[in-house]
Amino acid sequence: MAILSLKDVKKNFGITEIIRGVSLDIVEGEKHAIIGPNGAGKSTLFHLISGRYNVTDGSIRFKEQHIENKPPYEIARMGLARSFQVTNIFQRMSVFENIRCALFWSKGYGYSFWHLLGRQTELNDEAMHVLEQIGLADRAKFPSGELAYAELRALELGVAIASGSELIMLDEPVAGMSHSEAQNAVELIRKITKGKTLIMVEHDMNIIFDVADRISVLVYGEIIATDEPKKIRANPKVQEAYLGEVHSA
Amino acid sequence: MALLKKSSIWIAFLIALLGLPLVFDSILAISILNQMVIAIVFALSYNMLLGQGGMLSFGHAVYFGLGGFLSVHALILIEFETMVFSILWIPLIGGLFGLLAGIFIGSFSTRKAGTVFAMISLGIGELIAASSLIFSSFFGGEAGISGDRTFGPMFFGFDFAQNIEIYYVAALWAFIATLFMYLFTQTPAGKMANAVRDNPERAEFIGYSSRKVRFISFCASGLFAGIAGGLFALNYEFITEENLNAATSGRVLLMAYIGGLGYFIGPIIGAVVLTLMNSLLSNYSELWMLYLGIMFLLTVMYLPRGFAGFIMMHQIAWIRGNMKLLIKPYIVTAIPALLFTLCAIALIEMSHIEDEVFHYLGLELNPASPITWIVILAVAGGAFFTVKRSLVQLNDAWETANAIPKEEEA
Repeated sequence: MAILSLKDVKKNFGITEIIRGVSLDIVEGEKHAIIGPNGAGKSTLFHLISGRYNVTDGSIRFKEQHIENKPPYEIARMGLARSFQVTNIFQRMSVFENIRCALFWSKGYGYSFWHLLGRQTELNDEAMHVLEQIGLADRAKFPSGELAYAELRALELGVAIASGSELIMLDEPVAGMSHSEAQNAVELIRKITKGKTLIMVEHDMNIIFDVADRISVLVYGEIIATDEPKKIRANPKVQEAYLGEVHSA
Repeated sequence: MALLKKSSIWIAFLIALLGLPLVFDSILAISILNQMVIAIVFALSYNMLLGQGGMLSFGHAVYFGLGGFLSVHALILIEFETMVFSILWIPLIGGLFGLLAGIFIGSFSTRKAGTVFAMISLGIGELIAASSLIFSSFFGGEAGISGDRTFGPMFFGFDFAQNIEIYYVAALWAFIATLFMYLFTQTPAGKMANAVRDNPERAEFIGYSSRKVRFISFCASGLFAGIAGGLFALNYEFITEENLNAATSGRVLLMAYIGGLGYFIGPIIGAVVLTLMNSLLSNYSELWMLYLGIMFLLTVMYLPRGFAGFIMMHQIAWIRGNMKLLIKPYIVTAIPALLFTLCAIALIEMSHIEDEVFHYLGLELNPASPITWIVILAVAGGAFFTVKRSLVQLNDAWETANAIPKEEEA
C-alpha cells in the first residue's frame, strides 16, 4: 500500500519549470532513494512534499489525505518528518533541548504553558533515549551550536526522527562526512528507520545501493525510472542520463 | 531537599526584595527601590520578546502604558466608589489590559519576526502615543491623568498612603511576576519560543506554527508589561503620554540589552543598574544620558551578552577554582581604566559647563585654561596606553585560568 502518493506534481519558479510532472508511489515500509544529477530538482521535490513550497499543479497524498499546499507544521503533525541538507537545528539551545522540542507535539504538549518540563519524567526520559540512539547522550547539556560536524549531522537526524514519525525524509544525510563517519551514519540511519518508511536523497552511490530497496532517478524535473537497485544499474536510460556522468567524472 | 535547593535562589530574591528598605530607608532610597522593582518586571517582560522569542520590539511601552492608564482609571473608579476593591489588585487590572492589547496587536504583528515585526512595533508605538494626545478624555492629554491610591477598602489597616507600604505591595507583585515569567521559560511554550527564535523554519517541521508560538510569548509579555504599568500607577498615582511613548520603549530595550538578553537574570541586572544611574547620576550631571549612551555602545561592542554574560564568562574559571589567578590582573587593568574613565568624564564635563571653576573629585579645575586640558589629556593618554599594555597580562591570566587541566587533557 502506498503511504505517500505523488500525482503529476509540477513546480514552476516564474517561467522556469523545476518539477515537470512527477508521479511516484512510496510503499509503506520501503527504503526509497531519489538520485539524480545536480539541479534535477531533488531538494525541490522534498520541499514540495514536506510543505515548504506550494505545488504549481498536481496532488500529493500522505496516508490517503491530500497534503499539497498545507503548511509544514500540519504535515509534520500527521507523521511526516524530514531532515535538511544544510544543518538546521536550534543552535542556541542545548542538544537535549533540541530533541525534547522535537518530541513536544507527538507527546501531546501542544502550546502548553502550564506543564513544567522538569516534572515531565516520561518526556525527559524519552529525549535521553533518543540521544542514546543517536550517540549524543554524553553531549546532552552541550550548546548544540558548538558540536563537531558529524555530531551536528547526528543531531539533525535526531530532531527529524525523535517524534517517531512513520515517514522519514532525509536530504543528503551523509554529505560532507569522511568515509568512516559516513559508515557510522549509515548504520545509524538503518537503526533508527527500522520498521519505518524512508525517502532519502543522496549522492554517494555505495550508500544508496547499500540502503535502498528501490531507487527513483530524477532528471530535469522528471522521474525517468523507478526500480530495484540492480535493475536501475542495468537500465540504459539511467546509465546515459546519470550513472554515465559519474563514471566519466 | 532538591526542592529546597532549587528554591533557595528564590527565597534569597524574596529576602533581598523585602530586606532592602530596612537597609536603605531614606525617602530617596525607597523611591529608587520602587522604580527598581517596576523596572525589573518591565525589563523581564521585554526579554520574553527579544531574549527568549527573538522579537525586536520598539514599542513595548504601549503595553506598560495602557496597563498604567487603565490602572489609574481603576483608581479613579475606586475613589468614586463605582468599584469597590482593595488597590492591592490594581496590578491585575494593568496586566489584564496589557494582555488584551497584546492579544489584539499580536494577532497581526507576530506573523513575521525580524524587520517586519520591528517596524510594526515601531508603528504601533507611534500610533498609540499620538492617539493618547488626541483622545484626551481617556488619556488626559499632555498632563495625563491622576488618581489617589488611599481610597478603597483598607488592607489589614494599611491605607497605602506611605511609599514604603506601596514598595512592599510592588515588591510582592514583582516577586510573583518574576516567578511566573521564569516558570514560563520552563514550559513547552517557553522552550518553543527559544526554538522559534533560533530557527523558525525548523520549528514548523517539528509540528509548530512559528506564528502561534510568537503570539503566545507576545501575549504573555503584554500581560507582564501591563502588571508593571499597574505598579507604576500605584507608585506615582499619575500617568502621562510619556509612559507609553518611544523613549520609554527605548529605555526598556537598553535595560534588557545592557543586562544581558541571553540570561533570565540579565534584565534584572539591567533594570537595577539603569534605575540607579537614572536616579543617582542625574543628581551629579546633566549629561547622564550621554554616559548611558556611551555605556550602551560599549556594551554592544565589547559585551554583546551584557553584564550577565560578563559574569557568566567566568563560570569555567570558577569551576576550576582559578578565580584567584584573575584578581590581580583585573586590578592591574582596572586602575588605569578607571583613571581613563575619570579623565574622559572630566573632559566631557569641562566642554559642557559654563562656570569658571569646575569642581571635580575634590579638585578645582579651570576649564578656561589650556593647561588644565593638556594635563588631563596627557593623563588620559597615559592611562589609555597603560590599559592597552596591561591587556596582555590579563589575556595571559585568562588563558591560564580557563586552560584545561593536564590530567583532564589525557
